[in-house]
Amino acid sequence: MTITEKLSSGITIVELCGTIDASTAPELQRHQAISDPTRTIVIDLARLDFLDSSGLGAIIGAAHRKEESGANMLLSCMNQKVRRVFDITGTVRLFHIFDETAAAIDYATTLRKSQ
Amino acid sequence: MKTLIAIKEADCNWMRETLPGTQPLLAPLCNKPFVEYLIDFAILAGCREIRLLSDGPLSQIEEYCGNGSRWGIELTYANLHPSDGEPELLRKNRKFCGEERTMILSGCTFIDYDKTLDYRGLASIDSGGTIASCPGGSITLAGPLEPSLTDQPLPPVGLTPIGDLKSYCRIAMTTLETGSSRYVLPGYGGEPGCAIGRNVTISKTAQIHKPASIGNNVRILPGAVIGPSAIIGSNVIIDKGSTIKESIILDNTYIGEQLEIEGRIASKNTLIDPESGVTLAMQDPHLLAGINGGATALVLWRKIVHALAAALLLLLLSIPFAILYPLLRLRGKWQDVPSIPNAGLAESIASAFSLDRYPLLPGVLTGRLAIIGSRTHENRAANHTGTDCRPAVFSYAETEAWAATESDAAIVERYHALHSTPLGDIGMTIQALINRIHYRNPT
Amino acid sequence: MNSVITLTLPGDIRFTRLASQTASNTASLFTDTCNAGAGNWEFSHAFELAVSEAFTNAVNYGDRMQGTRDITITFTIEQRKLTVAIRDANAPFSAETPEPDIETYPERGYGLMLIRTLMDTVTICRENGENVITMTKQL
Repeated sequence: MTITEKLSSGITIVELCGTIDASTAPELQRHQAISDPTRTIVIDLARLDFLDSSGLGAIIGAAHRKEESGANMLLSCMNQKVRRVFDITGTVRLFHIFDETAAAIDYATTLRKSQ
Repeated sequence: MKTLIAIKEADCNWMRETLPGTQPLLAPLCNKPFVEYLIDFAILAGCREIRLLSDGPLSQIEEYCGNGSRWGIELTYANLHPSDGEPELLRKNRKFCGEERTMILSGCTFIDYDKTLDYRGLASIDSGGTIASCPGGSITLAGPLEPSLTDQPLPPVGLTPIGDLKSYCRIAMTTLETGSSRYVLPGYGGEPGCAIGRNVTISKTAQIHKPASIGNNVRILPGAVIGPSAIIGSNVIIDKGSTIKESIILDNTYIGEQLEIEGRIASKNTLIDPESGVTLAMQDPHLLAGINGGATALVLWRKIVHALAAALLLLLLSIPFAILYPLLRLRGKWQDVPSIPNAGLAESIASAFSLDRYPLLPGVLTGRLAIIGSRTHENRAANHTGTDCRPAVFSYAETEAWAATESDAAIVERYHALHSTPLGDIGMTIQALINRIHYRNPT
Repeated sequence: MNSVITLTLPGDIRFTRLASQTASNTASLFTDTCNAGAGNWEFSHAFELAVSEAFTNAVNYGDRMQGTRDITITFTIEQRKLTVAIRDANAPFSAETPEPDIETYPERGYGLMLIRTLMDTVTICRENGENVITMTKQL
């Protein structure tokens, strides 16, 4: 798994690439932008090939902590395989999911303005 | 134009209590899943790309609808957040919507459309947003206007909320009464107001009063009275002398003898009164029961009958086999037995007795093969799909002379695999034996 | 007709991907030979995910007992059915894992839920001092 970070309109975009399972999930949890509870981020999943429950858990945990401190985590460009994991576990309701990263960034900026 | 179909869990909470285990979008309305009415309307409005959105699990619908090729459209799936309104839906699906006009069908509502009318005008009317709404749902248009594809005025579009069991029942009944003149409904019907699915057996003394809709794999036994206004789902048995009137019998239900069901919804072993919402669970399995897929007693009985038939054949054919097998084997012609162009006497006898299948018969005794079922001796096993494939010595296809091509044979095999009885199988085996002679010696 | 493929891996979380990828490849090989069409991603993904979850569970139970033992994955290819069994000689695993309370969106506990949803049959048992999880799916 590789994690790339970009900045667009003041919003951090974290791009996940490859696979996330029990062996790579800890790395995701440690990642600064993801673990920082006060930073609103967009996670771009376009190049994520595989996600299992360990990876899902890491994403949910980070989202919980961000939510508690008033920040957000938005998801974008989920492929079918990744969406299936969210769908079965019923965790889709926790997230705002976009089919385009740019739309997610727009949404994140409006969220920040309204705060 | 594109369509977003959005349904939230909160819109259909009522369904979870009364129809547990049913995905709201797959709830049957007159034997057709609710989602198909929405898709039909979107297609009538000229949409070829539709996306289904929900904040609940979609996997069941995905399995049912697939990629939409069945309707000639492109169907995709995505999730929404329980708090999303129309602007959020458009934003979250911006890539899908692109720069095109988008219609949003939201909520658990029924659209009163008419399949004979042209709704393509929706793409080009400037309505400023919502074109129809009702409590709990709406039809909204967004995005740039498109050039009109039709010169006909836009027909009115009405919405009826499906907010409880009562309204669900009423809509199902209205759909049944309106019938296939207005909606695309499943089943065959020689006359309006009556639609019957595949593999339906109706006793001579049973009565059917219009309007009625009957699903697939249904048995209606003597003296039963169906309708008026009865919707019978798939895999249903209505036993002797029972009356079904103004009622919905959902899939996989058995209605026992001499029962009168009027103004009710029956699902497995539960009777529901849509007016009051009172449910009544039947304790007696003979009165109302869920139908399970496999009947183990029948399987065992079939095995016994097949084994006996195979033993008989083994015995009868043992003498010709013992004589001819070494003979033909020595002449190197054993492999050619099923298809010898200019056969000698020995070959003709061997093929008339189907001796080429003889070595397979012990497999029936061990239970590995059936005496008659799907063909295994040609490299075709891989083409079979589903659980109705029963590897066997003889094939059902061999009993019917017309089943010449592979796909014809597969249809015949599948039909009989589902419908045959163990004793009927014996008759079919004899027929296959006779038929195989005719096949080879067309006179 | 039946083919059996066995893979033994050290009980280390680093090998999770190797296990799940093998499962995915075996499943696509299976669907290809059954002429189920190359587009059947759901089937191979179900195995990829289920094996990833089961392997992770097996390793995590070993961790708790300090020192893990090898994990054996067996695929059995039948005519229209694929079976995978995952065995480990670690401490007994309790199958009575509670279903996650979906309302609160916990961080853990989705593994068995995914496996049970994706597979046709799932059996978890203790056999000859080993934890065995057997999962099957029909095409």
